[in-house]
Amino acid sequence: MATVTLNQAEKTYPNGYKAIHGIDLAIKDGEFTVLVGPSGCGKSTLLRMIAGLESISAGEISIDDKVVNKVAPADRDIAMVFQNYALYPHMNNFDNMAYGLRNRGYSKTDIESKVREAARILQLEDHLERKPRQLSGGQRQRVAMGRAIVRQPKVFLFDEPLSNLDAKLRVDMRLEIKNLQQRLGITSVYVTHDQVEAMTLADRLIVMNGGVAEQIGTPIDIYEKPATKFVAGFIGSPAMNFLTAKVSDDCKHVIVGDGVMLDIDHDVAGGQAVTAGIRPEHLSLANNGDGHINAVVRMVESLGAETLVYLDFGSGADNVTLRLQGTHQFTKNDALSLTVQADKIHLFDIETGKRI
Amino acid sequence: MYQSKWRIFTNHTILILGALFMIMPVWIAFASSTHTREFIFQNGLQFWPGGHMIENYGAILFDPAATKGRVTALEMLFNSMVLGLGFAIGKVIISMMAAYAIVYFRFKLAVPLFWVIFSTLLLPLEVRIVPSYEVVANLGLLNSYTGLILPLIASATGTFFFRQFYRSVPDELLEAARLDGAGPVRFFIDILVPLSVTMIAAIFIIMFVVGWNQYLWPLLMTTDDQLYTIVIGIKQVYNSLYEGGQIPQFPKAFALTIMATIPPVLVVVIFQRMFIKGLVETEK
Amino acid sequence: MKRVQFEHSAVPYLFVAPQILIISIFFLWPAAQAVYQSFLLEDAFGMSSQFVWFRNFEDVLSSASWSRSAIFTVIFSVAVAVISITISLFLAVRADEVIRGAKSYRTLLMWGYAVAPPVAGLLGNMMFNPLMGDLYKAFNSFGFEFNHIQNANDAAFVVILIAVWKQVSVNFIFFLSGLQGIPKSVQEAATLDCKSAERRFWTITFPLLAPTTFFLLVINLTYAFFETFGIIDVSTKGAPGGATATLVYKVYVDGFIGADLGGSSAQSVLLMIMVSILTVFQFRFIERKVHY
Repeated sequence: MATVTLNQAEKTYPNGYKAIHGIDLAIKDGEFTVLVGPSGCGKSTLLRMIAGLESISAGEISIDDKVVNKVAPADRDIAMVFQNYALYPHMNNFDNMAYGLRNRGYSKTDIESKVREAARILQLEDHLERKPRQLSGGQRQRVAMGRAIVRQPKVFLFDEPLSNLDAKLRVDMRLEIKNLQQRLGITSVYVTHDQVEAMTLADRLIVMNGGVAEQIGTPIDIYEKPATKFVAGFIGSPAMNFLTAKVSDDCKHVIVGDGVMLDIDHDVAGGQAVTAGIRPEHLSLANNGDGHINAVVRMVESLGAETLVYLDFGSGADNVTLRLQGTHQFTKNDALSLTVQADKIHLFDIETGKRI
Repeated sequence: MYQSKWRIFTNHTILILGALFMIMPVWIAFASSTHTREFIFQNGLQFWPGGHMIENYGAILFDPAATKGRVTALEMLFNSMVLGLGFAIGKVIISMMAAYAIVYFRFKLAVPLFWVIFSTLLLPLEVRIVPSYEVVANLGLLNSYTGLILPLIASATGTFFFRQFYRSVPDELLEAARLDGAGPVRFFIDILVPLSVTMIAAIFIIMFVVGWNQYLWPLLMTTDDQLYTIVIGIKQVYNSLYEGGQIPQFPKAFALTIMATIPPVLVVVIFQRMFIKGLVETEK
Repeated sequence: MKRVQFEHSAVPYLFVAPQILIISIFFLWPAAQAVYQSFLLEDAFGMSSQFVWFRNFEDVLSSASWSRSAIFTVIFSVAVAVISITISLFLAVRADEVIRGAKSYRTLLMWGYAVAPPVAGLLGNMMFNPLMGDLYKAFNSFGFEFNHIQNANDAAFVVILIAVWKQVSVNFIFFLSGLQGIPKSVQEAATLDCKSAERRFWTITFPLLAPTTFFLLVINLTYAFFETFGIIDVSTKGAPGGATATLVYKVYVDGFIGADLGGSSAQSVLLMIMVSILTVFQFRFIERKVHY
């Protein structure tokens, strides 16, 4: 159990590339924090800095209020689960899990009981004598987690542990990880590029982009009040629709597409150009066709439980996604009438992308 | 990856010591080769270069008398070049073709011929030296480039290398080529050979070095000093070092040694990547 | 074996012909001669020969000089293999870890392969030259009575040192390549599980390098057996009194210089048997079976 604190942490590589720009973060004891973002955003780098596998160029990293910048990875009392499991191929699964304990001088009986307990929790009891290569991907991942659990560290680190598994397995393992963490109560930092994983696992989420933390908050906060256009577009699937818009002179509407007027309730100047964001699930079909948006259907995707409709309502709004529950029989070129609530419209500054 | 400062320090120290271990003998030979023979005779091997480099190297390159024979180092370098290139070219072409035949064709003699080629690994040249000499003598090939190069080509190494490579080439390539109307020779020339270019380069480099560095065989079958390779030349010079009661020509002998070593080392260093690739693939 | 092959063609015969031709003339025939001659005994003048069955073999196997040569060859090969593998492994591990100058170190350590064995022998001879060799002086100044011209053990030391010097590069290249084949994440996981780099090496890295090590052991033994002729001929020449003559060297000395065709041919055949065993061993355990 421990807190993890990052204080203006930075990372610059010898060739001058700045991977992490001054990140501040305070992770509470027992919290499950997820670092999420696209490839190259620096999330893995940040995780590895916490682990000590990458050195920190500036700023401080503290575990339990103790600065660990110069502490060797093995001494930070952390454990890590790698994307490709990183199990020791020449040892059987029992030894894989026991290795860290052996090196730290635990007694044989201690090791035996800890490993067996972890194996029991992860349902690996039958596989302890086998070698990693004899196991399936999901089983190997569990051995990797077992290796982390037995050490009962202060912090768990996960580096995209589910990326190498197939879709169904990913969903199952996701739940397992969440359950495990809640049960053990160990502070965890988890890296993923999959925003669904991020949303479902996180107590708090850090959305990263280009080495910078664009937003830190609970999943719901981030979903409902994204701080930047990037975060808005990254979280939520299908992604939020972005429309070029202009604020009307009376500041009560934005004009999108071909003169479509949408009510807004934001603090903006008249005539200002903005980006308007509307989530596909927040557009709805108007009753009796008297909604403010007249849209033309371009394509329909029927997923059974829901339908995705791709629409066009004018320039700057010609690639809009609508998400409806259930099955609808629309065809290309159908005309639809839509509405959206004012408080579901997000406005972003056209240049900075920041939320207005 | 995390490394403690101490570890980094010891790593560099050890590596530098290792590099020095390798380089020291060669460097000392070079430094000693740039002094006069009186100086070396009196003061022993030198660590710092002297001022006679041009003089010594010039002498052995252009003056036959300097190497106690009738041939200059320049001519010997030429012979070594012929041997190295000839051997490498011959090896590459012949083993490529043989490997192609064995891998891509189903024919009656395939299996026995494969084992015949394999058998050459069992009796290296050093061990069949006397009868090999006799055969070459009987063919009248002593003191000729042909006699120098051909017998060396009779071994399996290159063939196995290409065989392994060809086996890793996807079958689909051949199938597509056949559909495109390519016969066996076409396929070989138009598709397989271009595909093998990096492998050919790698093996060429290794074989060039092997050919250049040949010792026993040239030693035995070239009595005519016009045919001496530089490696053999060194031996002859060393043999005659103490002759005639004069001060031994150590610097010139060392200079010869350096000249014999620089070309293959340069080749290996400049084409490092290819060389290493060829080496690691050959032996695996 | 390729599943797609050409059939019914004259092409393979043409393509394989040059190699087979060369092998027949320059390998099969001399090899057959060597075997044949091992059963012959020439008279004192070299005029006629007699078929003596296995007498040459008996003579060779019971001769003291052959036994001594055989023992020396074994000791020499094992020493060269073990020492050069140890040194190169040590260097390769460090070379794999360093970041600054990694390429330069690799360049500085890998070129030994390009040095001709006789050149290596020469350099060694130079360093141990009684008149001016630095190592000769160094050893003697430490109170060792170092004399490799007369003392068999000292001579052996010199020859082993030279052979090791040359072979370190090759082993280094293979070990480095093997180390780079170990997944980085496995090494990182080990960093988290084990603080001591020493321990990590013995429990994780070394076991994973076992195939490479094993392979190099065979390669090095073969090298020491067969490719050290140049080194010996230019340094000790098998002196003192044949103490540093490997079996291969002895074949040359007896056959070419001593003109004992029968005896040296018998030795050749014996060596051939030994190589066969080594080669079979190599192919069986290292590469998967040599199947056509």
